[in-house]
Amino acid sequence: MDHAGFIFASYIAAFGGSAGLAWYAIRRGRALGRQLPDEDKPWI
Amino acid sequence: MQSPAGTEAGTEAGTDGRTGNRTTDRHTNGNEDSAHVATTQTPPTASGSAHRAAGSARAGTGTRFTRVLGVLTIAALAVLALFALVLSPPDVVQGESVRILYAHVGTVWVAYLAFIVTAVSSGAYLWKRTSSLTWDRIAGASAEIGVLFMAITLFTGSLWGRITWGTFWVWDARVTTTAFLFVTYVGYLAVRGLGGTHEQRARRSAVVALLAVLEIPLVHFSVRLWRSVHQDASVAGSTDVKLDDEMLFTLLLGTVAFTMMYVWYVLHRQRVLAMEDALDDKGLDLALAERRNEGLEARDMTEGTTR
Amino acid sequence: MNDPSPVTGTSGHVATGVWRTARLIAGKDLRIERRSRVIVNQVLPFAALVMVLFAFALDNDDVLLRTAPGLVWLGTIFSLLILVQRSFAVESADGALDALRVAGVNPAGIFLGKSLALAVQLVVLEMLLVALAMVLYQAQLDAMGAVLLVTTIAPATTGLAFVGTLYGGLAAGARGRETLLPLLLFPVVAPVLIGATRATEAAFGAGSAAIDEGWPWVGVLLVFSALFGVGGTLAFGPLIEE
Repeated sequence: MDHAGFIFASYIAAFGGSAGLAWYAIRRGRALGRQLPDEDKPWI
Repeated sequence: MQSPAGTEAGTEAGTDGRTGNRTTDRHTNGNEDSAHVATTQTPPTASGSAHRAAGSARAGTGTRFTRVLGVLTIAALAVLALFALVLSPPDVVQGESVRILYAHVGTVWVAYLAFIVTAVSSGAYLWKRTSSLTWDRIAGASAEIGVLFMAITLFTGSLWGRITWGTFWVWDARVTTTAFLFVTYVGYLAVRGLGGTHEQRARRSAVVALLAVLEIPLVHFSVRLWRSVHQDASVAGSTDVKLDDEMLFTLLLGTVAFTMMYVWYVLHRQRVLAMEDALDDKGLDLALAERRNEGLEARDMTEGTTR
Repeated sequence: MNDPSPVTGTSGHVATGVWRTARLIAGKDLRIERRSRVIVNQVLPFAALVMVLFAFALDNDDVLLRTAPGLVWLGTIFSLLILVQRSFAVESADGALDALRVAGVNPAGIFLGKSLALAVQLVVLEMLLVALAMVLYQAQLDAMGAVLLVTTIAPATTGLAFVGTLYGGLAAGARGRETLLPLLLFPVVAPVLIGATRATEAAFGAGSAAIDEGWPWVGVLLVFSALFGVGGTLAFGPLIEE
């Protein structure tokens, strides 16, 4: 595939960035969730 | 005053906030009215103690909806990668570089969507009838993913441009405005971090977001007018691709997949922000309760009464 | 004007109009400058120095002549940062801005007043930079060009003054905020930089731009000023609330 380097770099950026953001969101959610009782979580 | 038995489970592992609340109740109510206590804690039931273990067993911001959405998003992204990188054909004109567009178009769409959501949420926060900190948190969460996707857009776009036009950058209105939007987001997030009460943060950043709505079209128009003098206003317009069905499908799939990612993230993130705000408030409640207790204890000692 | 100082009405609001408040505050800011001479002694020399540094960096008389309009407005925008910081530094001392707010002074009046003072300072700065461009870069100005230039400076200056005051109010105050000012301000002033530079190019006749080509840009600058004049008047109050 021509320009394979650029193409893969693009997908690593897009997917990797998304994955990193998702991981960060989940981790932060778990860390905070451990500290708060259920009544502070209206989505439950 | 004895707390209802069911809430004792909360004591040992209790967060400071919970202890603070109970202490407050004990002193301000001063009676056996368990109804008062019950209003600040979940009603005691035999099986309820498991819920009131501090920080719930259900740590995290997931709900069934977001879990389903998350799985679907991963699936959509996987199918996107498959089609974009393998199954779809190279373009007649652009060759393989069109594959970058399948990701790029999705991220640019989400970046602009995120900007619009931030702006609308900011307006919703400022408008008296719908004002709620939830809008502020949605605005913040949307801006965070917006910043990332703007960066990805600029990165993938410049790679695509390098292949197609030979340059990493062009000074046309669309590209330049995207770069400005990125910087504006970064500034918006910096303003969110300035501190103060939740309401101050919300009002300040809402105003900044709405000013950005004012500024971005001005930038776009100025750059367009500027570059039209140089007769290259339409360079970025040549992303027109003769699309066959598979390519069109992949483009749309990319847009849908990243939009699902966006929704998933904003839902989770605004819950996290809600928890951060709640923890902030509890910290404040605790501090207030401690001060109140000190005052009451001092008074009790001087009056010679004990509770 | 022998009006007494603003009187507090029974509602606690200062019983003066927005325009009077603006004049009073602008007068205060300019009086402070006249007495302290901080801008004359520090900011104007800084701006002149920037123009000299541009010459060192660009190292080519033709390039300097062609880019002279851009350099004038770049110099203006860099100096704007310092002017804005100064404008709010005089408020932070003794918590003057907070005192004004708590006293019930209309924030719109504060905004317009400080913008007016900032605009006056900017005009002086811009005239200096134009003169320096003519001296250092050999920029030329004929009669029609001068008319265009003056008509450009008016809306460009008010636009810069409005956004400078607006974001300056936000970035003023607590420590660690001043660094926010360039990040917020520079994207917003981009249309002014583009518009003013293009119009000034036409005024100087640099890069073979005809005088006519400058006038649309004056229109852009007018729109910018109007939008941020109104937007800033509305937004300033919420932004400076603590």
